[in-house]
Amino acid sequence: MSARAEYIVEMKGISKRFGGVQALKNVDLELRYGEIMGIVGDNGAGKSTLMKILAGAYVADEGKIYVDGREVHIRNPLDAARLGIGMIYQDLALFNNLDVARNIFVGREYTRGPFGILLDKKRMYRRAEELIRELRVDIGSPQFNVAMMSGGQRQMVACARAVAFQTRILIMDEPTAALGVREASRLLSLIRDLRDRGISILLITQRIPDVLAIADRVFVLKGGQRQDVMEVSKVTLDDVVTMIVKGKERGGNGDAQVEYKSFG
Amino acid sequence: MATPRLSTNLSDEDPESTGQEVAWTAAVPLRGRATVAGTPGTGGRLLSTVLNGLKKYTTLLVLLILMALFSFVSPYFLTSRNLINIVLQNTYFIIVAVGLSFVMIGGGIDLSVGYQMSLVGVVTAMMMVVYQLPVWLAVGIGLLLGTTLGLINGLIVAQIRTFPLIVTLATSTIFQGISYLISQAKTYRNYPAEFLFIVNGRVLGLPFDVFLALVIVICAHFIYSETRFGLRLIALGGNEEAARLVGLNTRFIKISAYTLCGFLVAIATMVMLAKANTMNSSFGPGTEFVALTAAIVGGVSFVGGEGSIPALVAGVFVLAVLGNGMQLAGWGTYAQYIVRGIILLGAVVFDEYQKKTKRALR
Repeated sequence: MSARAEYIVEMKGISKRFGGVQALKNVDLELRYGEIMGIVGDNGAGKSTLMKILAGAYVADEGKIYVDGREVHIRNPLDAARLGIGMIYQDLALFNNLDVARNIFVGREYTRGPFGILLDKKRMYRRAEELIRELRVDIGSPQFNVAMMSGGQRQMVACARAVAFQTRILIMDEPTAALGVREASRLLSLIRDLRDRGISILLITQRIPDVLAIADRVFVLKGGQRQDVMEVSKVTLDDVVTMIVKGKERGGNGDAQVEYKSFG
Repeated sequence: MATPRLSTNLSDEDPESTGQEVAWTAAVPLRGRATVAGTPGTGGRLLSTVLNGLKKYTTLLVLLILMALFSFVSPYFLTSRNLINIVLQNTYFIIVAVGLSFVMIGGGIDLSVGYQMSLVGVVTAMMMVVYQLPVWLAVGIGLLLGTTLGLINGLIVAQIRTFPLIVTLATSTIFQGISYLISQAKTYRNYPAEFLFIVNGRVLGLPFDVFLALVIVICAHFIYSETRFGLRLIALGGNEEAARLVGLNTRFIKISAYTLCGFLVAIATMVMLAKANTMNSSFGPGTEFVALTAAIVGGVSFVGGEGSIPALVAGVFVLAVLGNGMQLAGWGTYAQYIVRGIILLGAVVFDEYQKKTKRALR
């Protein structure tokens, strides 16, 4: 293996089954250093499952994962976090009963005292404020409760949490789905910002135009199988949609046209 | 003497937690509005802080109103002797309610606490009366047993991941059955003098059981607001799936909460035992209902994630004052059951109404 790996993340031969459903079948994925890769596919194509395996929320039945060219074993979200992998889940997975700072740090608290049983609240609030400033996001004070925040602000809290700990690989699951036009475009520029700071980003989305606007490459899944990885600069919206609907065997069938319409 | 001291100490805790930071109890709706509208103005924040404070003190307010009411009903109510009595009669309820709060704030429920008391009580009493064991050993065995019963509840709940309501309903009849099998439905009385220190002894001028309850209340408040375990427990109660996704060991936290509850319930059992100076298997059951009602009246959410210890203590006293006041008013015991039930319903409706308002505002 070369001194510096070509890819920050490689997933090889990933398979995952839920009861009788084969969610992923022998999927390979390579993520370059500092790129934004869009992960697209129809509902149930396995996008979230694949990403949750990388984030440690699920464990693959088969397959290997390499980070910086070294094989790693990700059994839970903490393993992933230690490797610098953070994920923003589609439902954000926030704690509505906690304030911003506690949401960011719960599970990886700053502590003091014997055996680290006491919370270092001062340090957590200070760091949360720093994060809010760095991300230039509008979530007010780290003491605000997240329950009352707007969708965009909640997204920002989840984002602050995902990048709080030397995150090098950030996974976002449909981050713009629930946002208004203005909030969505702000989020996209934030994603670019994060990329420019050297974070490699995997972006699951149904909004193909978003992918074309900010991603470097786009990864297409269909029926739990990898179809293609395309350079965004070389494809059109139609190319991507065709790949999502028909897959790599462009034989096509009658249903494909019907499904196509739903993408509008 | 005991009463004023206790209440002073309890209310001392409140400003502390409001002053430094936003408490982990729910924010009031108005703050949300201000945030959604843009940057929250200072006026909005001030108003929301006031409202938040008011919400925190709702239970205390209800308590004070009840006390004022009963002072008109009976001239005897507001005498220091009566008030001291109310405190002394409720130390073990406070301890049980605090124990239960760990389970409830973590998103669970323990219906078996009363039956744990029955089992722990007869075993401890028999160790002292029948087997003549030294007091420290008998108490130690009782505490260990109680902790184990909590651990068993926790293990089952965490392992089979089903409704804790059903699990603890099942274990409660199991505990009850074992208690009767061991005690043979006999009554055990006349404990050694050392054991009765729990009710006769004094520490720092306070009756020992009041002191004990106070220490437990302060420790619990500290655990929730200052420790990593407390934060994780509150997080688990707030959103179990999210807790799993941020890498919390949810099983361990759940088991710890039930175990801690069992331990505190065992301590409460010792107090109950010493107070009654007699024990049989029918002592204990019923406590779970009082503690549960007090917790919900005190703002502990039935679905987890929310609650505050000072309010919980106020909740215990709301029930206590109600019982005492109604007795003094000559309404008898049976009417109290009805009123308690109505209060529990009222508290749940209030809780649900607040949640709906919050959801609607989001």
